[in-house]
Amino acid sequence: MNRIFNWFRLRRLEGDLNRELQYHIDRRVSDLIRSGLPEPEARRRAALELGGVTQVREEVRDMWLTRWLRDFVYDLRFSARSFLRSPSFTATAVLSLALGIGATTAIYSLVDQVVLRALPVDHPERLVLIDWNGEQLAETLGSDNLMSYPICQDLQQQKQFFDGVLCRAATTINLSTAGDPKPAAAELVSGTYFPVLGVSPALGRLLTIDDDQAPGSSPVVVLSYDFWKNQFGSAQDIVGRKVLVNRYPMTVVGVAAPAFHGIDVGEVPSLWIPAVMSAQAIPGFQTMLDRRTRWVQILGRLKQNVSLAQARTGLQPWFKAMLDEDARRTKVSRVSAERRRQFLASTLRLTAAPQGHSILRHDLSRPLWVLFVATVVLLALACLNVAGLFWARGSARHREISTRLALGASGGRVGRQLLADSVFLAVAGGLLGVVMAPITVRALIAFLPRNIAANDLQANIDTRLLLFAFLVSLAIGFLAGAAPALQACRESLVSSLRERAGTAFGGLSLRRTIVTAQIAFTLILVIAAGLFVRTLSGLLVRGPGFDTSSLISFGIRPTANGYSPADATQLIRRIHDEIRSSTSTQSSAVANFPLLLGGAWSNPLTIQSTERLITDRDVHLNAVTPGFFATLGTRIVRGRDFDERDSLPVNEGGQRVAIVNEAFVKRYFGGRNPLGAHVGMGTGPNVKPDAEIIGVVEDISYRSIRERWEQAYFPIGAQYSGSIFYVRLRGTPESAFAAMRAILRNADPTLPIAYFRTLDEQVNRTLNTERMLAALSSSFGTLALLLSLVGLYGVMSFVVTQRTREIGIRLAMGATRLSTVWLILSDALVMIAGGIAIALPCVWALGRLVESQLYGVKPTDPVTILSATLVLCSTALGAALIPARRASAVNPTHALRFE
Amino acid sequence: MSSSRFPIPQGTLDMLILQILSLEPAHGYGIAQRLEQISKSVVQVNQGSLYPALHRLEQKGWLKADWKQSETGREAKFYSLTRSGQKQLRVERDSWARLTGAVQLIFDEGSAQ
Repeated sequence: MNRIFNWFRLRRLEGDLNRELQYHIDRRVSDLIRSGLPEPEARRRAALELGGVTQVREEVRDMWLTRWLRDFVYDLRFSARSFLRSPSFTATAVLSLALGIGATTAIYSLVDQVVLRALPVDHPERLVLIDWNGEQLAETLGSDNLMSYPICQDLQQQKQFFDGVLCRAATTINLSTAGDPKPAAAELVSGTYFPVLGVSPALGRLLTIDDDQAPGSSPVVVLSYDFWKNQFGSAQDIVGRKVLVNRYPMTVVGVAAPAFHGIDVGEVPSLWIPAVMSAQAIPGFQTMLDRRTRWVQILGRLKQNVSLAQARTGLQPWFKAMLDEDARRTKVSRVSAERRRQFLASTLRLTAAPQGHSILRHDLSRPLWVLFVATVVLLALACLNVAGLFWARGSARHREISTRLALGASGGRVGRQLLADSVFLAVAGGLLGVVMAPITVRALIAFLPRNIAANDLQANIDTRLLLFAFLVSLAIGFLAGAAPALQACRESLVSSLRERAGTAFGGLSLRRTIVTAQIAFTLILVIAAGLFVRTLSGLLVRGPGFDTSSLISFGIRPTANGYSPADATQLIRRIHDEIRSSTSTQSSAVANFPLLLGGAWSNPLTIQSTERLITDRDVHLNAVTPGFFATLGTRIVRGRDFDERDSLPVNEGGQRVAIVNEAFVKRYFGGRNPLGAHVGMGTGPNVKPDAEIIGVVEDISYRSIRERWEQAYFPIGAQYSGSIFYVRLRGTPESAFAAMRAILRNADPTLPIAYFRTLDEQVNRTLNTERMLAALSSSFGTLALLLSLVGLYGVMSFVVTQRTREIGIRLAMGATRLSTVWLILSDALVMIAGGIAIALPCVWALGRLVESQLYGVKPTDPVTILSATLVLCSTALGAALIPARRASAVNPTHALRFE
Repeated sequence: MSSSRFPIPQGTLDMLILQILSLEPAHGYGIAQRLEQISKSVVQVNQGSLYPALHRLEQKGWLKADWKQSETGREAKFYSLTRSGQKQLRVERDSWARLTGAVQLIFDEGSAQ
């Protein structure tokens, strides 16, 4: 250890040694002069006695640094020189390692950021997500793990289990700071949010329980550090400034700590608003205190000595009592007996949530793990490849090594040289991998969904992992380098020197094993690539069920800009009229809920035909204007579309009508004619199924391309509103975009556009994950194929070289060229078959991991497996054919004359 | 430098250095002189091997070194024995005694015949 520290204080040590030696010489010289010698002679004598100052210095230096370490530097230099002499070998090995290390670290750093990393708050390990397991009988606003706000208030009283309980809901608001309002990502939070997480302010104050009093009582906001920096130029006088949230004035009271980006890595809020201001932040939302409206995620901080299981058990009595009480309340008591039973059977679910809550995590953790496993396989492949290459090189250098040993080099000395080679390669590959990894992560992040709330993913690489991958490659290098070294030391010198150049020691069976493993790994990756590509192409071919070309969509939210519902309807009608009369419009319609954005408006329905029937699961609902299906190009297979009369109130001559899709008819009417039957929203006994089914349409995708769910449509008008526009354009989208924007600006210049995109783009966005999986697994598969082909080629060339003499004899004895080719190919075939035999059970076992990511194919899809196997076999045989042809070209006379 | 002087047996230089330093701390030149005086110029110490040996013993932790004023007034590097150096000296002295004893026995037997 001392010796390693000596590296760093070399300069001081040198200085000391010089002084020490100088002292010695000076003393000796003066002693000699005193004994009568003339000075020049004395100096000569003193230096002579010491045996040369330089030599002493050199020997002392060896004491400091150990010879080993110093020689190792020379070894590395030698390695570098010898690698530069064989650039193709070096490039293959270094690139293999770099790819393996780069890809593994890149994917893992995403896994880490999305799935594993804990929040930058106090003791994140004590955070738990509290969730309802069962039927909540509640209106839903949001996506996952939702509860009502009053439950959060109840939980805050459970002080024996929690240090604190917070709730939060992500939303998008229209924020105006100085000029026109812009959409901004906000988190509605309870006053306990910051205290429970233990976040401190960078400026001013954060929200407290005093901001939790009554609805509308606390019109304040806290800004995120980044938003404050980017939007307000880090203005020091920010505290006290007024901003408009959906046109409602609120005061900035503080800025959160720089490192804190909310609790969702996929959706970073720009500002935090007290939950009591939800009516202002979410237009039309008035049911914050309703127990039957679920819209917040609840997280609690467990007390120091309370375990998750203890809290779960301990909360059960309170939860049961709440269920019983809720069941007595009017709204719940009206539901069907079945759903009521499900409601009462609900339990409370507590899960550790040190990473906070994230929908992105929910959606991406599986695909990311799949990719991570793939990269680990790739890294293993790369290492095997390097090992194989080393082996080949070790064989080629056999004579060199024997010569060095014969000249008196010790076995350790030669082994060290081979180790230096491995280290050199691992370092080079590792460094290249380090350079590649951040670029790869950046490319990967581009695949991920992006909304107004930016995700918090960064291209930073986890240093621990980089180190790990690096060490793995180093270890592989060591092992691969050590084996030939050991071999060289063990063998008898004389016999190996006597051998002809070109032949070498054994280890062939190990190389065969390596190649077999490589082929197995490769086949797994190629099959995975095949499955994901088929999934993506299947989804692309399937499409959303309607024609997306020259179809655009955009949304506005007038109620978020201070419009009353009646004024908003007027505005939308005016805008829609203008769009319809625009020359760029072919047809257009308005909907209540946007398609292909991942969400849906859903509710169970009561159906009244010959009998009364309640749907056994939620139906996806939408409200649309007449012409919606025509605009999308969805065929009406039965009955008719809505018309203007359907949107009138019932007392003005209108009637309640609905249109359902084919999946709905199939599930609830068994394919019988549904026209004339009635449906009603909800499940209770006093739900009036009064909307007549007047039409049946084809199935289209709503939440995602994968899904064709039961759908029902109602007309926009008296009952339902909508502000999502769908426009089929004439001409190119570019020119039409400008026209549409002009219309919107004309109608109200301060109205922000929530989103504006073509449906093609929308479809692409929903397939981001599938595209990522397909693109990455294909490139992994190709790389793997390349790596193992190099491995196979190397081994086969080696075999041919080794068997040249045998082949020569065979040819001389009358064997045909073709049988020689077969001799070599059959050797390769054994390895290929072995690899396939290993890979197929693995594919079967790994199938479950990828099953949920696939669409339209099973993980054991025979066509995919067969074609992947064929691709592998044909390319592998191709790689083996080159050395085999060389074998057949052996000239028997030459081969035998070698002896 | 007469050729009648023995080259110092291999491996004994460390022991001799430890022994000399067990009496009092000394600098390199002092140790060289002391070696020459004590052995009455019978043993020839290659001064060139003295310094590598000193640094090796220092690396092993048997010696520690300080820059102090020497008898001539100049700063010199003085070596002294550490606790583990003293222990090492005892060990080496023991094994030397055993070795010489054994060698003596063999010689005695040879002369008895």
